[in-house]
Amino acid sequence: MYFLNLSLGQFLALTAAISVPTVLLYLLGRSRRKQVVATLRFWVPSDQPAVVQRRKKIQQPLSLILQLVSMLLLLLAIAQLRVGTSLATPRSHVLILDTSAWMAAASPVAARRTLMDDARDKARAYVKSLPVSDRVMLVRADGLATPATSFELDRGKLERGILQSEPGATALNLEQALGFAQHEQDLSPYRTGEITYVGPGRIAGEAPAATPPKNLRVLPVADSIENCGLRKIAVRRSPTDPDVWDIYASVRNYGAMPRAVTLSLVFGGAPAGARKLNVPANAEREITFAYRTRSGGLLEAALRPHDAFPADDHAVLELPAEPALAVTIYSNEPDLLQPVFAALPRVHAAFRPVGQYRATGNGGLVILDRFRPPQPPVGNAIWIQPPAGASPVPVRDTLENVPFDRWCSGSPLCNGLRAKDLRLPTTLVFDAAPDDIKIGQVQKGPVIVARSGPSKAAVFGFHPALSDLRYELATPLLFGNILRWMSPELFRRSSAAASSAGMVTMQLDSDVGAGEIAVTQQDGTPLPFTTHGDTLRFFSGNPGTVQVLAKDRETAYSLTLPEMWNAKWSAPAGAKRGLPGYRVPAAFSRDLWELLAVLGGIGLIVEWLLYGRSEGRMRRVNARLAVLRPGIRKAS
Amino acid sequence: MPQAPLLDRQFLEKLERLTIHWQKSFNGLVGGHNNSRFAGGGQEFLDHRHFHHGDDLRAVNWRAYLRLEKMFLKMFQVEPRVPVRMLIDTSESMNSEDGAKFDYARKLAAALCYVGLVRLDTIAIRPFAARLGEGMQCGGGRHRLSPVMDYLGALQTGGRTDYLEVVRQFISTHQQRGLLIIISDFLDDAGCEKPLQYLADFGHELLLVQVWSEQDRTPPWLGDLDLVDAETDARLQLQFDEAAREAYTRGFDRYADSLQQLALRNGGRYVGVSAAAPIEEIVFGTLVRSRVIA
Repeated sequence: MYFLNLSLGQFLALTAAISVPTVLLYLLGRSRRKQVVATLRFWVPSDQPAVVQRRKKIQQPLSLILQLVSMLLLLLAIAQLRVGTSLATPRSHVLILDTSAWMAAASPVAARRTLMDDARDKARAYVKSLPVSDRVMLVRADGLATPATSFELDRGKLERGILQSEPGATALNLEQALGFAQHEQDLSPYRTGEITYVGPGRIAGEAPAATPPKNLRVLPVADSIENCGLRKIAVRRSPTDPDVWDIYASVRNYGAMPRAVTLSLVFGGAPAGARKLNVPANAEREITFAYRTRSGGLLEAALRPHDAFPADDHAVLELPAEPALAVTIYSNEPDLLQPVFAALPRVHAAFRPVGQYRATGNGGLVILDRFRPPQPPVGNAIWIQPPAGASPVPVRDTLENVPFDRWCSGSPLCNGLRAKDLRLPTTLVFDAAPDDIKIGQVQKGPVIVARSGPSKAAVFGFHPALSDLRYELATPLLFGNILRWMSPELFRRSSAAASSAGMVTMQLDSDVGAGEIAVTQQDGTPLPFTTHGDTLRFFSGNPGTVQVLAKDRETAYSLTLPEMWNAKWSAPAGAKRGLPGYRVPAAFSRDLWELLAVLGGIGLIVEWLLYGRSEGRMRRVNARLAVLRPGIRKAS
Repeated sequence: MPQAPLLDRQFLEKLERLTIHWQKSFNGLVGGHNNSRFAGGGQEFLDHRHFHHGDDLRAVNWRAYLRLEKMFLKMFQVEPRVPVRMLIDTSESMNSEDGAKFDYARKLAAALCYVGLVRLDTIAIRPFAARLGEGMQCGGGRHRLSPVMDYLGALQTGGRTDYLEVVRQFISTHQQRGLLIIISDFLDDAGCEKPLQYLADFGHELLLVQVWSEQDRTPPWLGDLDLVDAETDARLQLQFDEAAREAYTRGFDRYADSLQQLALRNGGRYVGVSAAAPIEEIVFGTLVRSRVIA
């Protein structure tokens, strides 16, 4: 006979904790109570027992005994008293099946088999070796621990769960899996069984910091194979030449022998580069390429010859096409603005005479040079010295030969504008709205104004090429700022990286706020992320493409590489290894808690019926009788 | 905080159709609403009798004289205005269950007063405990209820009951017989049967309204009890169990029966009410059934 839920000490402590207050309450409840009554005349003549001068210590001992026994029975039920031997009690086991990306590697034991096949066989053999009364929970472990079944007696369901387990895309997080298994066993109402790990023990980080559970069993899967694979590929536009992609690749040899491999790049079906590498054992090599293209497409990297783990020999990432802004400039003096737009990258400027003006453009930007358009432009526009009646911003005054006063501050439109001591031969002064951005001002008011809205507009009160500004670096900078403000998406810095699924870490620029970050999956659904200082982290358990937009920087992560392990975990010395040898013991074991709970409940009900009926209930009954009573005792 | 009124308006409106009735015939001023077996100057015909010298000739039945050649005198029924007096117990024993019993007694008194006022009866209310307290007299219609409510609301419990002294005072101060309503728990250690018998013998019609709280009739406590008399502070220690409780209740009921017998034996009426019962149910049920009011 033994307790399943509590130790004997816990049981005795609980019994004492309940019994002592019960006895105290019992004695208190039966102590003499002082009551003020309307009269004593009916108390004396009724058939009372003799007046008690000496108080008894315990009255109604049967009530006390019934209460104590009933509560003892309920405690025994809570402690789950069982008859028989504890060895025969069904147990709850957790089977952790390694489904990390590494499990897709070829098995060193047999041809055309993977490590996953070996692990499945061992897991099935383990389940078969357990007594049929034991419950097993199957947990698939890669970067996350995912329960595939609850604590199951049904061996068929467990078999199906094992057979349906496939290698994932992330590396094994064994610490999390063991913690999850322990937590589940703690919550389980059954006797704690084993936590069994099936796999080669290749983990993502260092060895688990937490102490492994004492009931750990390890079924190792042999994985002594050679592998050399891609760790990461990253591309970004060259800072010196925007048409050139700088490509960075990292190759690691996970095996014990040096390897000679060839990394070849293919862009859009055409070879983009190839390089031979000698990678020492357990070492990493980095290699860079430069590839010139303006168009977008798929860049494939392949490592040859293939090895036992081909999943990390091939990576694909998408290179975005270089965006360009179409600018249509309606001017009768195109020579004035040509130098400015020739200096701006990613801008395709087309100069047209004023007579060819069309209100509906090509979706790009329109620049109107000193003329009144018959119809205002549909999209974004820059107005240069418009006629007073045609200006989108009302003109307050026209001035001649005025000194330029100041540039705005705090707006990205004025970044880098430092020119001073300018004189404007003739300029319009605008009557700007409160929401307008006053880019440049003279003493009497703004002369360059930017206005937000469905269509953005910037209005110059003077022609920059017909003033002192034409000699200043500020002119192309000012136009560049305006174009960036009007079409920020075209000026984003693009980069791409091919890496592994799982936890992805990215360094952010220092001026990026939390509200300017967006992490989205391929289908546009947002992905949760965290930021700590300048570091952004997100987790993707599945292969795919994730786009990170941080202010004006756009990074596309092609998570096509499997997440590889960093270290091999060694099972602790105390852990059991191999399949368990026990069979179903013939000993007898049976639960008694249902019977004990029923008996305890019955005992309490009997005690209540005999001694503990509440006064309130009696009052209610008597009140009803009192209403009827005068009617019965009818006066004549 | 203003005190809640003893009776609400809806209940008062329902009371307006009721009348206080008594059974005995009393001498009193003409103009009441209850018939008397005494002949007098009323409007309703009562009987004939032979004419005697000195009788009022206006009451002779001349039609009978023409037919029988004998003079018969017509007698008429008198409808006297009988004084209604109400004694309300304010002893400490009425304060049980946090004054619920006394509140109930006050509500009953207010309801009976209102019934009387509506029928233009004159009602004298006097509180009592060991002695008769200062009373108030009300009459003259329903609009005079407000002082009555104020008076009843201001009554406080206290002191022990002494029915003998109270009855002695009452008899000496109220010579005219009439209807006497006593609202009390009738819990006097010296016994109240004899004083009540004195009142009946003096000629008053008794209407005994016994109010009890549930713990007066069925004490809810069990086990060792240290009992203290609310009026005398006398103590009694005893063990109390279910059997004792039943015996106690039987004793209480026997006492209530003795009060009922006393009232009935003397041409009066008895009503026993529990303070736990709704007041409306008691007024329109128990009191109407016992013909105290109709």
